[in-house]
Amino acid sequence: MAIKKKSGNKASSNGHKPASKASTNGNRNSSLRQYEIPDYRLEHPNFSVHQVRNGDEVRYEVTGDLDTPVPPIRDSKYLDKKQCIEIYRYMLLNRRMETVLENLYKQGKVVGGVYFGLGQEACSCASAYALDKDDWFAPMIRNQGSLLVRGFRASDTMMQYMAKAGSPTKGRDGTSHFGDIEKRNMVSPISMLGDLIPVMSGVALGARLQGRDVAVLTYIGDGGQSTGVTYEGINFAAVQNLGLVLIVESNEWAYSTPSEMQFKCTDLAERAIGYGIPGIIVDGTDACQVYDATREAVERAHRGEGATMIEAKMMRMKGHAIHDAATYVPKPLFDFWKRRDPIARFENYLVREKKWLSAKENADLIAEVEKIIEAEREIAVNSPMPTPESALGGVYCEDGCHAIKPKYGMPKVRKGSGSFKQTEAAVHLK
Amino acid sequence: MAQLTYLEAIRQGIWEEMERDPTVFCLGEDIGIYGGAFKVTDGFIDRFGAERVIDTPIAESAIVGAAFGASLTGMRPVAEFQFMDFIPCAMNQISNMVAKTHYLWGAPAPLVLRGPSGGYVHGGPFHSQNPEMWFVHNPGLKVICPATPYDAKGLIKAAIRDNNPCIFFEHKYLYRRIKGEVPAEDYVVPIGKANIVREGHDLSIITYAAMVHSALEAAETLSNDGIDVEILDLRTVSPLDRDAIAATVHKTNKVIILHEHSRTGGLAGEIAAIINEEAFDALDGPIVRITGLDSAVPFSPPQEEFFLPKVNEIVAEARKLKAY
Repeated sequence: MAIKKKSGNKASSNGHKPASKASTNGNRNSSLRQYEIPDYRLEHPNFSVHQVRNGDEVRYEVTGDLDTPVPPIRDSKYLDKKQCIEIYRYMLLNRRMETVLENLYKQGKVVGGVYFGLGQEACSCASAYALDKDDWFAPMIRNQGSLLVRGFRASDTMMQYMAKAGSPTKGRDGTSHFGDIEKRNMVSPISMLGDLIPVMSGVALGARLQGRDVAVLTYIGDGGQSTGVTYEGINFAAVQNLGLVLIVESNEWAYSTPSEMQFKCTDLAERAIGYGIPGIIVDGTDACQVYDATREAVERAHRGEGATMIEAKMMRMKGHAIHDAATYVPKPLFDFWKRRDPIARFENYLVREKKWLSAKENADLIAEVEKIIEAEREIAVNSPMPTPESALGGVYCEDGCHAIKPKYGMPKVRKGSGSFKQTEAAVHLK
Repeated sequence: MAQLTYLEAIRQGIWEEMERDPTVFCLGEDIGIYGGAFKVTDGFIDRFGAERVIDTPIAESAIVGAAFGASLTGMRPVAEFQFMDFIPCAMNQISNMVAKTHYLWGAPAPLVLRGPSGGYVHGGPFHSQNPEMWFVHNPGLKVICPATPYDAKGLIKAAIRDNNPCIFFEHKYLYRRIKGEVPAEDYVVPIGKANIVREGHDLSIITYAAMVHSALEAAETLSNDGIDVEILDLRTVSPLDRDAIAATVHKTNKVIILHEHSRTGGLAGEIAAIINEEAFDALDGPIVRITGLDSAVPFSPPQEEFFLPKVNEIVAEARKLKAY
């Protein structure tokens, strides 16, 4: 099997099964099958990271073309001016919130560590922005921007980090580990990687049984996709034709391990071929590309056409968490991606290229975001710590605690004429 | 009242719940047209359709994950494990996702994970295990192990209606070996309530699942010796019925704890601790444990028999305890 990767400016439309066809170009191997992976990117970085020994020291080195010019933002097929500015605003909120979290940590107000999505704000915000209200999502640790887009407040996440009584989990868990199945359709992540994928597939299954095809968005990193449950979950969504929208955040590093040591294929989107679902590659630092690919996948899900895998290429611009200075990352790699900062690129696009924002409007927007986050910070800091006894209770859903009812309506039951018969058939072990 | 096998009672319970509640659906390996490895869902697909009787890939984490996800939308999934020996394949989903979800972020997970467990059928080390203790040690789960057709039907219905994740262990030795009276009308057996299956005053045997029947057989032999045994069937191993455990010890003052799974870290240790806390002054003898050995369940019949608790062992231990 050969994999033909489409490259260049011509973007294939997402939403089709990868082309599978016998070669008719006179190739001697007439059974050669070709598959297409649409690629929305306007550049194709050409470098790789290797482990090298330098005297007594083993370290990582990057080789390749690291001085290429920064590509323009690709015009969205769907987003208008107002929507672009709204996504940009969420990206600003995302970054400002994380800056404040870093300061809170330095002031000793955070319990545990802080995880950052620096350099990944376009991916978090533009993907969540592509969902409709009834759709579901489940963030991973770096998708704190997605929470803002879906209507959570920055103070929710801040209080989680500070383990406050006012946090969504009332102190019982930290970071972005919270959810809301009533209003915002968010499933709480757990620390283990990949487990959200079958869970979100199940959400789509439940909704389908109630007569609704919803999109269920979740994320996995280049590291997390190595887990077995990732395979199980994507495969389940694929065979059941469930509306999973999986963003594979290829951010070069899984804690301290480069993607070169995580998988052997060139692009993780190629794995979609094996699952029998569409795969697509986007520049994860380009909000318009992320939005377009996600929106197309969401619409496929709404049409009942099944799962999509979107690989977003970008770089984790900080360590795994705040304690990690990421000294293992070769500096030229940081330099390359720093020039592709998603917020700086989008700002340039909106202010200088499109002229959708004047310099003053942009400055006002940034000032407004800072003001909002400062107010959120005040709320979070002023929330009390939980009482020790509040550790008790809630292990079980007791009588009257929750009413279980189908979210999208009672399933329509189609019953066959079969009646209950006793069975005495051959069984596995008697 | 109809006489039903243990397996038929479970089948009928799930069937009736699917008739009663459109949010109930089944998923698992080979449960559709084939009807499941033990035929618990035989004929379900014809009645309820492929939408509600879903054959899945061989992917236990995906099965549990999907069941959980569907439960978040208000469905009541019943997921089958072909054998409960395979349940650790989904351990992270069960322990870290499903069990903690209500405590951490307030989302109920009304789902049932069910399947056959237990030995005495020469199934070998991967088709004979009793892995219930792994889940007893996970707050947030309910763990159910019925011993009779009546309880099996009443408890599977209670589990499906419960708003919490329930793990339902069906003892495969009992599937087609025992029959019992099962009423035609709708009923449930409450989760977390033990049941005295034989009254006595000399000593108590606290047990559950297939071991209830071994204990009953031993009690018949012992009654010929004039030893009057009380048998407490726990029915649910998490949450444990502490009151019933304390009450029987207060009544007979001597206790044997009997279970099929391995000894170390087994349920007997926990029950002994409960007795220590609730009924220490009532004890007139040492708490006796009769359990499986601390090894895998061996395959060859003589070895498996040696591994598992036996009726003559129960009789011998009971005589010793009576004489203490």
